[in-house]
Amino acid sequence: MAEKVTAYRFDRIDETLSQLNREDCAIIAGGTDVMVLHKSRRGVPPKFSKPIVFIDHLSELKQVYQTDKDLHIGACCTYTELLEHPLIPTPIKSAIKTIAAPAIRNRGTVGGNICNASPAGDMLPLLYVYNAKVLLRSVNGDRFVAISDFIQGPRRIQRLHNEIVTEIILPSVLEEGTHVIFEKVGNRNADAIAKVSFAGFMRINKERIEDIRFAFGAVGPTMIRSREIEKKLVGKTLPLADAEIDTIVAEFDKIIRPIDDQRSTAVYRKTVALNLLRYFLSLKQ
Amino acid sequence: MKLNDISTSVPKKDHKGKVSGQLPYISDVKVENMVYGVLYRSPIAYGKISTIQLPNLPAGYEVVGSEQIPGPNYVKIIKEDQPIFASEWVNYIGEPILMLVGKELNTLYRLLNEVKIEFEEHQAIYTLEDAIYRKSESGVTMASYEFGESLEIISAIEHGAHQIIEEEYDTGYQEHVYLEPQGMLALYKDDEIIVQGSMQCLYYIKNALLSALACGEDEVRVIQSATGGGFGGKEEYPSMMACHVAVAARAVKKSVMLVYDRSEDMVVTTKRHPAKINYRTSLDKDGNILSMCVDLFLDAGANEGLSSVVLQRALLNSAGVYKIPHFHAKGFVLKTNTVPNGAFRGFGAPQSFAGIESHIGHLSKQAKIDPLEYKRKYLVKQGDPTITKGNFRDPVLMEEMIEDLLYSSDYKKKKEDFQRFNQQNQRYKKGMGTSLFLHGCGFTGSGERDHIKATVKLVKTKNDHVSLKISNSDMGQGILTTLCKIVAKELDISYEQVFYPDPDTKEVPDSGPTVASRTTMIVGKLLERAARKLKTQWLSGVEQEVEEHYIHREMIPWNEKTFTGDAYPAYSWGVNFVEVEVDTLTGNVRLEKVYANYEVGKVIDERIMKGQIDGGLAQGLAYGYLEKMTSKQGKIQQKSISDYGPPTSLDVVPIDSKVFDNPYTDGPYGAKGAGELTLIGGAPAVQSAIENALQTSFQQIPITPEVIINSLWTKEGEEG
Amino acid sequence: MITFTLNGRVVETDAPATVRLLDLIRDDFELIGTKEGCGEGECGACSVFVNNLVQNSCLIPIGSIAGANIQTIEGIIETEQFKILDESYSVAGGVQCGYCIPGMIMASAALLSKNPHPSETEIREGISGNLCRCTGYNMIVDAINLAAQKGDGIWQKK
Repeated sequence: MAEKVTAYRFDRIDETLSQLNREDCAIIAGGTDVMVLHKSRRGVPPKFSKPIVFIDHLSELKQVYQTDKDLHIGACCTYTELLEHPLIPTPIKSAIKTIAAPAIRNRGTVGGNICNASPAGDMLPLLYVYNAKVLLRSVNGDRFVAISDFIQGPRRIQRLHNEIVTEIILPSVLEEGTHVIFEKVGNRNADAIAKVSFAGFMRINKERIEDIRFAFGAVGPTMIRSREIEKKLVGKTLPLADAEIDTIVAEFDKIIRPIDDQRSTAVYRKTVALNLLRYFLSLKQ
Repeated sequence: MKLNDISTSVPKKDHKGKVSGQLPYISDVKVENMVYGVLYRSPIAYGKISTIQLPNLPAGYEVVGSEQIPGPNYVKIIKEDQPIFASEWVNYIGEPILMLVGKELNTLYRLLNEVKIEFEEHQAIYTLEDAIYRKSESGVTMASYEFGESLEIISAIEHGAHQIIEEEYDTGYQEHVYLEPQGMLALYKDDEIIVQGSMQCLYYIKNALLSALACGEDEVRVIQSATGGGFGGKEEYPSMMACHVAVAARAVKKSVMLVYDRSEDMVVTTKRHPAKINYRTSLDKDGNILSMCVDLFLDAGANEGLSSVVLQRALLNSAGVYKIPHFHAKGFVLKTNTVPNGAFRGFGAPQSFAGIESHIGHLSKQAKIDPLEYKRKYLVKQGDPTITKGNFRDPVLMEEMIEDLLYSSDYKKKKEDFQRFNQQNQRYKKGMGTSLFLHGCGFTGSGERDHIKATVKLVKTKNDHVSLKISNSDMGQGILTTLCKIVAKELDISYEQVFYPDPDTKEVPDSGPTVASRTTMIVGKLLERAARKLKTQWLSGVEQEVEEHYIHREMIPWNEKTFTGDAYPAYSWGVNFVEVEVDTLTGNVRLEKVYANYEVGKVIDERIMKGQIDGGLAQGLAYGYLEKMTSKQGKIQQKSISDYGPPTSLDVVPIDSKVFDNPYTDGPYGAKGAGELTLIGGAPAVQSAIENALQTSFQQIPITPEVIINSLWTKEGEEG
Repeated sequence: MITFTLNGRVVETDAPATVRLLDLIRDDFELIGTKEGCGEGECGACSVFVNNLVQNSCLIPIGSIAGANIQTIEGIIETEQFKILDESYSVAGGVQCGYCIPGMIMASAALLSKNPHPSETEIREGISGNLCRCTGYNMIVDAINLAAQKGDGIWQKK
């Protein structure tokens, strides 16, 4: 006999929040990550140490809408729903296309990807360069947290046990004139976990860099982004001189400290991360 | 359906059951009074068991270990070195020590966590390098062979040579990743244990059970259930699982089911042997080969298993498809305290072909000749001796096959185009590579005559239905269809009148294992003969039965001691051309186009042959650049499919393939072996394409992005 | 108690909410067409439809499917779409060991229902989560292509 578990699936978000306020629970959205993390061996259900709450059916968490130039994405939108949504920017769609395969994309959610806080999370580099904010809701109200503050380490997030991530907000994402790229390096062309990923964001006005951002995935405990280094490029004109590019690459060389694991090596990860950065900086915009 | 041309495809016998999902594999089977088994496995690589502490077992839960084995405690394969349950020494992480059996898996997993075993740990050998260094220590070298030109003569040649090139080449693990994980069920009856499951070799299992259970012929019975892929992974490994479930069933008097988790399957089952191959070749001033010495080392893992036979095939292919003057080779099977390695499609040949194709490719650079042109200078021809003083007695069509691909791939122009592309594109580099290869069909040497002695039977019912009674497994390769076609065609009856029931040792004679690309050629030929015999005796409406036995055609007798004679009765041949694009920023390799020509005597079913080509090539190509498995301190590091990385549909490209006719006298309708051949050329062709793209040399497979980036980094350093 | 629709029939179960849909349909409903190849969403052998979308049943806790419409391979065997796929897989030679095939059929049907005339790349993307170790995929790609041609017009009827 399978062991008894306590599980909740409320029709409304306020009921869900009340329960979370009463009891510390494990939240399951699409479940594509948590079901693997808590997996048992063949023939036995996954094990959870807390009661579980299902949230991916809640319609409040599945909206995509625009306010001014900001884009709001419901945390329980599946990747497939985002791929098919007209408001979602193309770079995000191309990042989503690198995630697993259709069956996973039909189930996995963007909120789940964030809360799983994997160093290799496929959505994360882009969300970092978009300066994404996470909207958390509890019985006490809403609060916004920058994604870089929200994710604190591998599988560690700044969510209180009575909170749910309800939305991801991409500020000013719908403005014109930005150039965004995303590169995921995996061991094969589908169903791969990133060995290195890179997102680059640039806004230029008449050859002059007005805003530039970079984020690297799978080369540290969380995404690597440095506003200090980015600032050094603001105001420069394109194309950048080789020496300017070298300086930036050298700065990142100091702060990127990947590890060896079953998927790749530290040396590879660092070399490729810097290669992709250099390539982005050398591109004719 | 009447068959006119044997090669014309017919609907597969097992199509309906498979496409609807209703054909049961072993994990789909449930029987009354069935319990599950789970294995407690060694957590250490090498040591002695000191104490075993078992948890209190609830009613209905029992422990089975070495004490419950009625016969000797080893899995009968070749040597008696693989315990069924380790009882004193453990030799690798994951080695089974005992089995817990009971009704609920949940309870079994909990109990498994409560088993406490203490060990006295000893210094393990973790790597092949370490084993090579220690190969003269007792027990490290498990088998070795040496043959070819005398070393004195080679030494004299080397003395006068213009140049001596030495290269060290490494090949990695390859994991089968059959989609259906290993599974075995022992059905308990008072007077009989029936073992059924996913397997390639029914009589290997039956013989292992007769030994383990120390019982009579009619007390065990082995039945193959639908087998979800084998590739060699279900050749010898299932014998151990069969012993586990049968011993347990005997002990607890219940039916016992053992099905592996994917991660368990990836970590503890056999894999392709990692190898190290050293080449020492002397050249004249024009880059012509004067002599070649090859030293080959296979990492057996903790038990010998089939490794000595794998080494034989590796050595027999160590000169590739070339006639090399003054060739000498020796090889060693070495023990490491890692998971035992075993059979995998190609059986030692893929390692050798990757190595020799790489080496010859590098020699062509010394001679400043296009690799393919250089290879052709040394290509064997009909009537040439083999490296073991046997003979290539049948026509060799390699030149035609190469010419055809040069034309269809537009090789010359492509190479020039790629060179131009590479000069203009900083990030991406394109390259084209080739491989030439063969596969010796059937068992090495006199194995068929001395060990297998295959027998086949055809049984005809009153309504003139004919059934094949053979012990061979369809594991996806299609013999349910091809062998039925051979019989139907020979009897001149409709294909639908011929049946091939699930092999069951109670019903079928030993027609040998389903290995070594022998099934179509050897068993198919026996069936062809049996059908011919049945046809001459045919009486409609009467039950009839005919039997046929293997007849050995004497050639140059094979001598395993001196490693001389005809190692194989026949050879199948292949040529692969591969185009790749390499991303120099990430080291990622993308296949662009694959061309493949083969010669397998005669194709028994075109569609099934194409399936073997596409599937074998996908595995072979991936072996060269994609699939990567490593072991660290005796532990396999890649425990999930995605970490290991077999190709997805987005990693494979359409394959432009052709099969050349060259009927072989001793094969049914002229057919030779085809299943393994198709894998062998993939890796070397991919390597040479990557080398061509990057204008550099590699001394290993897989050439992963990590290897490429490292090489580009080193090259950059050298250049400035 | 969890209630949902399984192959057109409303069913209920009192199994715990964390039980995998894969185990429930195989063990409790004895539908063996859905296979387990990895248990981690990496092979696609366990593909089923959840509200007409293909998903990996090994990653679905049954607590999350209350009220959903679940279809397994057994639930589509009688459809026109399945018959076309069955025939196309046979003609194109897409089946070898067969273990991936029910999942592959589900992925094929899902793809064609969404995109009745897929390009080769779209076909490859559509089955990219379904591992096959025997065929090298090309003959499966051919089969889907053939099913698209033969089944012209039937894919959107669902």
